[in-house]
Amino acid sequence: MSGKMNRRSFLKMMGWGGAGAALSGCDLPSTVTLEEGKEEVVSYLMPEEFVIPGVGVWYSSTCMQCSAGCGIHGRVREGRVLKLEGNPDAALNNGKLCMMGQAGVQGHYSPDRIVAPLMRSGGNLAPVSWDKALAVLNEKLGATNGDRFAWFTGTISGHQLALVSNHLDAMGSTKHFAHDVVNNAVSQAVNKDMLGEANPRLRLDKAKMVVSFGADFMGAGQSPVHYAGQYAKFRTAKQRGLLVQIEPKMSLTGGSADLWLAIKPGTEGVLALGIANLLLNKIKVSDAGIPSGVRKLIDRYDVTKVAKITGVAGHRIQRVAQLLTERSPSLVLAGATVEGHAHGYDSVAAVMMLNHILGNVGKTIESSGNFPFPQLMAKQGNTSDLVEFAAAASGKKLDAVIFSGSNPVYSAPAALNLSDAIGNIGFKVAISQFMDETTALADLVLPAASYLEDWGTQVPATQAERSAIYVQQPLMEPLHPDTRGLGDIILTLLKQRKTAEYGQFDDYYAYLRNAFAAMPAAVKKNTKNNNEFWDAALQTGVINLDVPAKKLKSTVVSFAEPISEVGDADANGLYLLPSPRMGLLDGRHANLPWLQEAPDQISKVVWDSWAEIHPTTAAKLGIGNGDKIKISTHSGSIELHTVLLKGMHANAIAVPLGQGHDDYGRYAKGLGVNPLKILDATRETKTGELAMYGTQVQVTRVAPPERLGIVRLGSSDTQAGRKLVVTVPVEQLRRTEGA
Amino acid sequence: MVVSNRSVNPSARRRNFIGPAKMGFVCLLALMVLLVAPTAMAEKYSVTPPTGVYEGKDVKQPIEFPHNTHVKENGINCMYCHTYARRSKVAGIPPTSKCMGCHKVIATDKPRIQKLTKYWEDKTPPPWKKVHDLPDFVHFTHEKHLKTLVFDREFPVENVKEVCAFCHGELENMTVARKVKPLNMGFCVRCHIENKELGAPGDCWKCHK
Repeated sequence: MSGKMNRRSFLKMMGWGGAGAALSGCDLPSTVTLEEGKEEVVSYLMPEEFVIPGVGVWYSSTCMQCSAGCGIHGRVREGRVLKLEGNPDAALNNGKLCMMGQAGVQGHYSPDRIVAPLMRSGGNLAPVSWDKALAVLNEKLGATNGDRFAWFTGTISGHQLALVSNHLDAMGSTKHFAHDVVNNAVSQAVNKDMLGEANPRLRLDKAKMVVSFGADFMGAGQSPVHYAGQYAKFRTAKQRGLLVQIEPKMSLTGGSADLWLAIKPGTEGVLALGIANLLLNKIKVSDAGIPSGVRKLIDRYDVTKVAKITGVAGHRIQRVAQLLTERSPSLVLAGATVEGHAHGYDSVAAVMMLNHILGNVGKTIESSGNFPFPQLMAKQGNTSDLVEFAAAASGKKLDAVIFSGSNPVYSAPAALNLSDAIGNIGFKVAISQFMDETTALADLVLPAASYLEDWGTQVPATQAERSAIYVQQPLMEPLHPDTRGLGDIILTLLKQRKTAEYGQFDDYYAYLRNAFAAMPAAVKKNTKNNNEFWDAALQTGVINLDVPAKKLKSTVVSFAEPISEVGDADANGLYLLPSPRMGLLDGRHANLPWLQEAPDQISKVVWDSWAEIHPTTAAKLGIGNGDKIKISTHSGSIELHTVLLKGMHANAIAVPLGQGHDDYGRYAKGLGVNPLKILDATRETKTGELAMYGTQVQVTRVAPPERLGIVRLGSSDTQAGRKLVVTVPVEQLRRTEGA
Repeated sequence: MVVSNRSVNPSARRRNFIGPAKMGFVCLLALMVLLVAPTAMAEKYSVTPPTGVYEGKDVKQPIEFPHNTHVKENGINCMYCHTYARRSKVAGIPPTSKCMGCHKVIATDKPRIQKLTKYWEDKTPPPWKKVHDLPDFVHFTHEKHLKTLVFDREFPVENVKEVCAFCHGELENMTVARKVKPLNMGFCVRCHIENKELGAPGDCWKCHK
């Protein structure tokens, strides 16, 4: 080749003119593995008329990757589900699906699935037959009753919940522990007291301004796809909605905010009082309905005092209060960082009070109405059940427990001593797809079908404008023939206790068909008979319900001072924020390489744990970017690398959730650390929830950065003078443009 | 909501529907085809087959299926059994029900047919071994090739085996199929170059997408 060959001429040569020369290597024997004579290509025995090999057919079902319960469509080809998308008929997610939903197929096809029942013999789990497993289960459950038997689940709803409740009834037990690390239990308690409903509809799309105190509603919230859809409407409205995010660590939602304010952890309630003070005393909004005790509390917090406590500048607080009065209706939200302190209830109450003062209740906060099937409504997970379960286990009050859809051994702080306490339970059953930390301690493991192979119904706690039951149907035959669906397993257990009542159902499918047939006529509108109703439900994946409108009450409860005395005393205290994120969430998706590979939305780190810390705090502690540090609490310590981040409050250090698995398959095991382990087991005073964001930590530097310390994608925070995004200070713009 | 067709998911049908936005694009394409058509008409019937040979190994199949009997002696069209070829990216192994459509009554005394009948009665399709395969990074579609080489050329469909033979060899002279063409990139590209007037694309991403 002459020296004149450059990229452009090479590409030209690669065009059809010189293709013959350039492609001379293409006749070499293939170096890739071809399946000639190796792989089987099995035809259909007798295909459905609409089935064409190579052409996908889309079926409706429901996502189970988090508790939001979005409607999905799955592309099925040659009996295999290949791709998931959102179901346009599902009002909740309106045809959209998040990355956790997209990664559902990877869990389904994971090589780490449990494929046969396992029973502990001589200390190890060994495969047994289903007959043996069910016989042992029947014997062990027969030997106990009452509250010495319990179910331990994650958030669960629909007919699976109805069956679990019926099984508990049959056992004479009232113990159903539901545990979820990512929850809004404190907000539910406040909403119930102030509005009369635990899960009212939040209408971002009707708001002109949203002030979110740590509510990561687009990332790791209760229904991220639903709220992201609402947020899009909020942003594209004629008057573009304004988002103010106030939190100690920048979340995905915070990254989209017009105004992001760092706040000292645990002082969000004080800031809300400060805003209320401005609204009532300066802007003279009516204080009707505010209890006198609360009114006195508000008056004690003037802007100067609030700015000092919270670390938010006084003029910013005044600006937010002013904007809230100019843009009505608005919506004020409280999220996990507000809830997760000993005074969480008081803080959330102070934040939610702003909605009352601003008259948002009824405008941007609506009633979700009386759901016609209360027995199907979601039992939402929380952390107080986890604490109570640990107490019951260590007090030897449980003989047999069935675990499903939750991994308490991983998520319980070491202070609860759960992995030891669980040894006191006589017989532990895990219905699980994967060998996670809890399943590894079980005496009997029942292999569960994936949600893409299973029947079910889901009733999301967060409902769209139209309440609905979301229908889950198998998108393919079970990949592993010895796995069984959750509904089928519970039904089998019920048959062991109540043969007369449940013996008529061959399987969970038959039970569901019967349950659908028994639904009232109002639900089955526009369908002629039960078969047609069933087919329509499977086709659309949604049963829309007409829920009569209801009016919310708008009251303010009396609440205590929303600040902790301890936190206030130590001005330099560092709070540990165990932050969940869209992706690994609470650690349940750590075994999905797609989600491990997807960089954290703010820090861009992949496949690892890291600690986010503000540069000034780091400098004070003598810590540099990428250094290895040790974070210690009363309950232990973790070692990990730092990422210096300006989107942090100086009194906060954030460690994302999800890593640090001792088990859970080849992709999750041994990566990173689990910040949940070192949390104090302090509880929120009114609801008994774990105060997840209230742990103070000591941080020390251990070692300088390693060459392969952490992997960050696009890890430059500066433009290195390249002017990729050109900015100009406002003052200069005013001067030059005369604006 | 009125349910009209139970077997096909209505939302699935919606996904295949060409919306107004796409419709404009389709009209534009149609217009371009109309403008180009008169000049392309001359070469419309000529195709240069791909060149290259390959010594494929004999693949042992569960039933030694005689392509020669079906194609040469009985003159059955390729697309009678491989019916998906014109509709999908894969030609498809015929469903067992299709075999039994004839062999419930034809040649029922032959051992191979008795073996087939056994599979049918056991409700398990025969575990055929794959003969022709492309790497996963190659997108190949039978549907497009048949459209261009047979239907658009108005090539007589009864002689379709001549077109199939471009890539699969003369199956009328084989029993079980054997790979006799290299099916590698050079083989594909030479044919695409020779037949670019027929619309054979030359962009990398047409196959590697």
